[in-house]
Amino acid sequence: MPMPAEYHESHGNHENANFGLAATQDASNMTANMYRVGDYVYFETSSTSPYQIRRIEELHKTANGSVEAKVMCFFRRRDLPSTLIMLADKHQLASAEQQRSESPASTQSQKLENPDSTKDMTSKDGIGPKVMNKGGGKGGWLKAPLSEAQEPHGMDEGAGGGGVSELSTKQRHQMKHRELFLSRQTETIAATLIRGKCCVTLLNETESLLSYLNKEDSFFYCLVFDPTQRTLLADKGEIRVGSRYQADSIASVSLTAAERESDPRRLQDLETLVWTPRHSLTDRQIDQFLVVSRSVGTFARALDCSSSVKQPSLHMSAAAASRDITLFHAMDTLHRHSYDVAKAMSSLVPSSGPVLCRDEMEEWSASEANLFEEALNKYGKDFSDIRQDFLPWKTLKNVIEYYYMWKTTDRYVQQKRVKAVEAESKLKQVYIPNYNKAPSSSTAPNITTVVPMGNSNSSNGKTASILNGSSNGNITGDASGMLVVGVGGKPCESCQMSQSPQWYAWGPSHMQCRLCQSCWLYWKKYGGLKFQSIHSTFQVPTRIDDVDLDRKRGGAGSDEEGKGIGGAHRPHRCSIPSCGKEFKLKAHLSRHYASAHGVDLRGSGTGGGGGGGSPRPVMKTRSAFYLRTSALARAARRLCAAQLRTRHAARAPHQPVNAAPLRHLCASPQLTSKSPAELRLLARAVRPRPRPRVTDIATRLGDHPSPRQPGDWDWLALTAPAQRKQPDRVSFPRPPKAPDGSLLYERVPNKPEVDRLPLTPPQPQPAMQTQQTILKRTRPPFDEINGSDGFYSDVDWDEGIALNAGLPCGPPAKRAHHSQQLHTKHALEHVAPSVLPLAPPLNGRAAHPHSLPHGPPLSRSNARKQVISWMDAPDDVYFRASDQAKRLRRTLSSVELRRAARKPWRRLPAPLHPPHPQRASRGDDMVVILD
Amino acid sequence: MTTAPHSKKRVCYYYDSDIGNYYYGQGHPMKPHRIRMTHNLLLNYGLYRKMEIYRPHKATADEMTKFHSDEYIRFLRSIRPDNMSEYNKQMQRFNVGEDCPVFDGLYEFCQLSAGGSVAAAVKLNKQASEICINWGGGLHHAKKSEASGFCYVNDIVLGILELLKYHQRVLYIDIDVHHGDGVEEAFYTTDRVMTVSFHKYGEYFPGTGDLRDIGAGKGKYYAVNIPLRDGMDDESYESIFVPIISKVMETFQPSAVVLQCGADSLTGDRLGCFNLTVRGHGKCVEFVKKYNLPFLMVGGGGYTIRNVSRCWTYETSVALGSEIANELPYNDYFEYFGPDFKLHISPSNMANQNTPEYLEKIKTRLFENLRMLPHAPGVQVQAIPEDGAAIEDSEAEEKVNPDERLPQRDLDKRIQHENEYSDSEDEGEGGRRDNRSFKGSRKRPRLEKGQEGVEGDLKKEDDIKTETKENEKDDKTNATSEEAKKDGSANP
Repeated sequence: MPMPAEYHESHGNHENANFGLAATQDASNMTANMYRVGDYVYFETSSTSPYQIRRIEELHKTANGSVEAKVMCFFRRRDLPSTLIMLADKHQLASAEQQRSESPASTQSQKLENPDSTKDMTSKDGIGPKVMNKGGGKGGWLKAPLSEAQEPHGMDEGAGGGGVSELSTKQRHQMKHRELFLSRQTETIAATLIRGKCCVTLLNETESLLSYLNKEDSFFYCLVFDPTQRTLLADKGEIRVGSRYQADSIASVSLTAAERESDPRRLQDLETLVWTPRHSLTDRQIDQFLVVSRSVGTFARALDCSSSVKQPSLHMSAAAASRDITLFHAMDTLHRHSYDVAKAMSSLVPSSGPVLCRDEMEEWSASEANLFEEALNKYGKDFSDIRQDFLPWKTLKNVIEYYYMWKTTDRYVQQKRVKAVEAESKLKQVYIPNYNKAPSSSTAPNITTVVPMGNSNSSNGKTASILNGSSNGNITGDASGMLVVGVGGKPCESCQMSQSPQWYAWGPSHMQCRLCQSCWLYWKKYGGLKFQSIHSTFQVPTRIDDVDLDRKRGGAGSDEEGKGIGGAHRPHRCSIPSCGKEFKLKAHLSRHYASAHGVDLRGSGTGGGGGGGSPRPVMKTRSAFYLRTSALARAARRLCAAQLRTRHAARAPHQPVNAAPLRHLCASPQLTSKSPAELRLLARAVRPRPRPRVTDIATRLGDHPSPRQPGDWDWLALTAPAQRKQPDRVSFPRPPKAPDGSLLYERVPNKPEVDRLPLTPPQPQPAMQTQQTILKRTRPPFDEINGSDGFYSDVDWDEGIALNAGLPCGPPAKRAHHSQQLHTKHALEHVAPSVLPLAPPLNGRAAHPHSLPHGPPLSRSNARKQVISWMDAPDDVYFRASDQAKRLRRTLSSVELRRAARKPWRRLPAPLHPPHPQRASRGDDMVVILD
Repeated sequence: MTTAPHSKKRVCYYYDSDIGNYYYGQGHPMKPHRIRMTHNLLLNYGLYRKMEIYRPHKATADEMTKFHSDEYIRFLRSIRPDNMSEYNKQMQRFNVGEDCPVFDGLYEFCQLSAGGSVAAAVKLNKQASEICINWGGGLHHAKKSEASGFCYVNDIVLGILELLKYHQRVLYIDIDVHHGDGVEEAFYTTDRVMTVSFHKYGEYFPGTGDLRDIGAGKGKYYAVNIPLRDGMDDESYESIFVPIISKVMETFQPSAVVLQCGADSLTGDRLGCFNLTVRGHGKCVEFVKKYNLPFLMVGGGGYTIRNVSRCWTYETSVALGSEIANELPYNDYFEYFGPDFKLHISPSNMANQNTPEYLEKIKTRLFENLRMLPHAPGVQVQAIPEDGAAIEDSEAEEKVNPDERLPQRDLDKRIQHENEYSDSEDEGEGGRRDNRSFKGSRKRPRLEKGQEGVEGDLKKEDDIKTETKENEKDDKTNATSEEAKKDGSANP
């Protein structure tokens, strides 16, 4: 049966498409830049931080033609919290030792969990990182020498024990850059941010680590990191041992002859012979018999009325008689008649007429076939439903058999073409040319958006606390220009070379460190310095701490990310201008804030909820923060409105603000000399906008009792309904009215209900009629393709969602209108939040950053916005008002109350009691619940 | 066929015409239809007429509980799509529902697949056939009381248990892209079955199959796992399959082989990630067939069904020893094989992450493990020793360099075997001189005493271990020459 050419093309594309492409084009370059599903890639999130390593899971073409990649994340050592790294190393030491103690080739499952360390971690912070050993037997995944190489510098050097050090210090150091941690987390990135291929493999114990070091772009992983649970686990299944798992009837020896004899089973019971090659027929005779039975079949079809209708021509009858079922029957007949051709042949023509063998394909009538296709459209490949609702006179086996044969027909090809169009957005591979642009081009999304103005007044005891401020503020200036050409001629931070065609700023700006080209590339790829930094004072932190991790975890979709910048390698610095101390850990920084500056970092947002009790906010998964402007900052905004272009900046918070002139202005005596009160005035300077009173306007309007000229006011009069211009087409017509005058809306059935709906479409109502026409107009291709009545034409048949044209589809007019309203409302509301990037979850009204669907693209990179899971969301903090607080609230006017709710950080001018209602309620009444 | 009986094997093929009509459910990758596609190809290639075709019986619950737990089989027998809701708890317990859905005729499907493998094993036991094929079997993930990875009843384990009645040692080889965890687990603690699995390892179903999983208790060293990475091509596959199987054959000396031919290791598989062609896959069959042992071939994975049926058709032709054309014959499902309508497929240009060094390292490690096995030929010539004396004797046996004698012995055996097969048709049941199984039954005489055997055996293994350490230097120097010799002997 000759098939149409398109069919062939689409059918075999699976394995041949890739092939042909690569073969016809310049092979070397193509393969290097051709990215496929399953490839491991570098991916650039920010120009300052190292590449991230991802595996491509899916490639999608978006509506606007760009390509997005769904990727699986790998984490570097530096991305993991230090506690986990320590645990991983300990765990691995233990396994290495255990391996040493055992014979070289043996490892039986052993619990490797390090109970005391786990406990230790748990008590330190509330999260409790753990190394979980799923399979129990992750025995010695690294050889002893590696385990030493893997030690972080913070660890006790002696812990390595007596293993022979195969690797030099330098190699050990570099080895750390090659270890990754797999996570099951996926994110979606723009394919244009891919920066090259790499190779990630599960480390096998037999491999030498040097093989990784010696190969560019190769990484290994051993453990799986779960960013939401903050746990590490060995990715290993387990073969269980015990009588519940093993086959238990295994004797130690095979049966004796006597026992074999006693087996009651006979082969005849176990099997039925249907063909044997031991016969006297030659191949030729068998072939002849097959031809004979086919001809008998053709003749039988000629005699059979139903068949002759289906196969009007002799050719078709012959083709039908040549289907496999006739051949199988012929073989069976031969066997049944002991391979006697004569006997077999006569059995083909019994007294009742020539034997007719028909398979499902032939058995089904045209109307049954149509029913089947309709059903397939409606239910997808749910054959038992299809049988039940459409073809109850068939057996399920009939239906399935028919389906697989139907797949070889032209009808299926057509369906497939529709599917192919849909599948076009899913790509198998994508070509990304080499990335040549200056790195600065991609920095834009990652640059700090909010430049903290100096905070001169701390009268309320709390300076503006800006999380991440330590890494933000100081580098903004030069982060935008990555190519720092001459920073005083310092040698390369890594290799100490003083000559390089290109220099790259690296590290915190005040250190003015820079890297030569090769070391920069190394840093980008492997996330560390090729050689350990010589500065003893400035240790390169090998990992990002919690805040950065959070940023990572949020994937590309989170809003804070834009603020986080690539400060990964920078220590935490106190943001208080006069202080500027650096800390390795964020926890230390917050302690410093608390002790030296009296700033309760964690409490700042939650109204003292954190207090001293819960350690959690410090390590909070996703630090919600807000920018609290000081009076000076606000004043500066007003004064610098021209330079700052405040509105523009608010709309595009991801664009860097040129801070220098502003800083200059703020530092000028003109501002610094002002008192807080004056500043406040300045800040407010522009605000009071003279607004005429309504009454004035009304009277003014009333002053003109008649138009100056006749006809001037005509436009004010309502047009008579009859004269109104009718729209050409009513998209969402008003539904009919019920007797009581209310509008009758067509109920939109839920999917399960749709499934249950009767086959015959409900009597179309007038309103529905229009909808139908619209539907048809908007989806002509389907009609054409199917070439049928268009009844089940508008359906994604594989999805199995059935929407008959007669059924109401699409949102009713009312709803559409509604959502539009909502949108505008949102848009209005979110002008403010985009200036103030995050509102703190206070007063029980958590303004969540992710509820800004229409805000400007705040997320880093062009990655798609993802709905974050509840795990990633900020901890739920809610405020339980004490009686006292409630009483206090009652003293406030509703306006004040609302204002307070909107600006929870603002002090309330409550005269009697402690100034802050939240503060007031601190104590036993105050319950902050963290889940 | 009537011609050249000596070079051709007697092949029995098990198939039930209903098997293609079981349907796992919408969107499920496992499609029993592929078995029917294979069958139709076999018919039209003319391979059908060259073998004995059997319709297997439906395995009874009794037969299935030889391995599976009664409860589990009872559950499988009673569950249907329309009464699923009553079995919520049990479904969870037996892992039925997601990967392993409840579909119409589930139990029958299991019965047919298990029935085929059991009947095939019995057939081999009775020496009524040399090669048995059951493409409907090979469901290697099923556990004793748990479904897993599209597998409900482990027909392989049932088949091997059957084979164990007549064969002292059975070798199981698994070339599915997934680890053969169900079979490995079932025989994890026995030394009578060696399971060898070649599979993708690392972030891949079912997660087991680490190089260091080598068996437990008596079965220590009797589980061999070859963890591989993405992109295995024909060449690298052969480079690891041939030496390892040769070594295994030599050290374990099985008297029957079961090969799981999961076709998801082919290139372009919907779930797989290897890059094998039909030819490369078939080479494994060819290689195992050369050992002339009673040989059971079963199906397994394979989710790009047109390639699965290509592969299994080709492998049937390999088993039959008759070449078939690359041009596919017309058949009911011809259109599935477009656009080229050829039997053989080309590999893709995906990268092979298995470097030669990596494979070499794995091989070396596995050879080290295999060296831990009590050396079969040495033990075999032993007269039945007393319990206590066994250790010293076997030690003495170990010290003798086995290399000298082994290849010749191997060769002899093989010649003898071929003669046997040509005669076997005429011989009555049990009339065959099966040296292997006979010797094998003497190999572990102490075990007949029951529980004591376990301890004694472990002790013995320890001794052997220390023993080997002493001999390690010798072994290492000998290793290369030894391998070379054995490779040669494997290809007579």
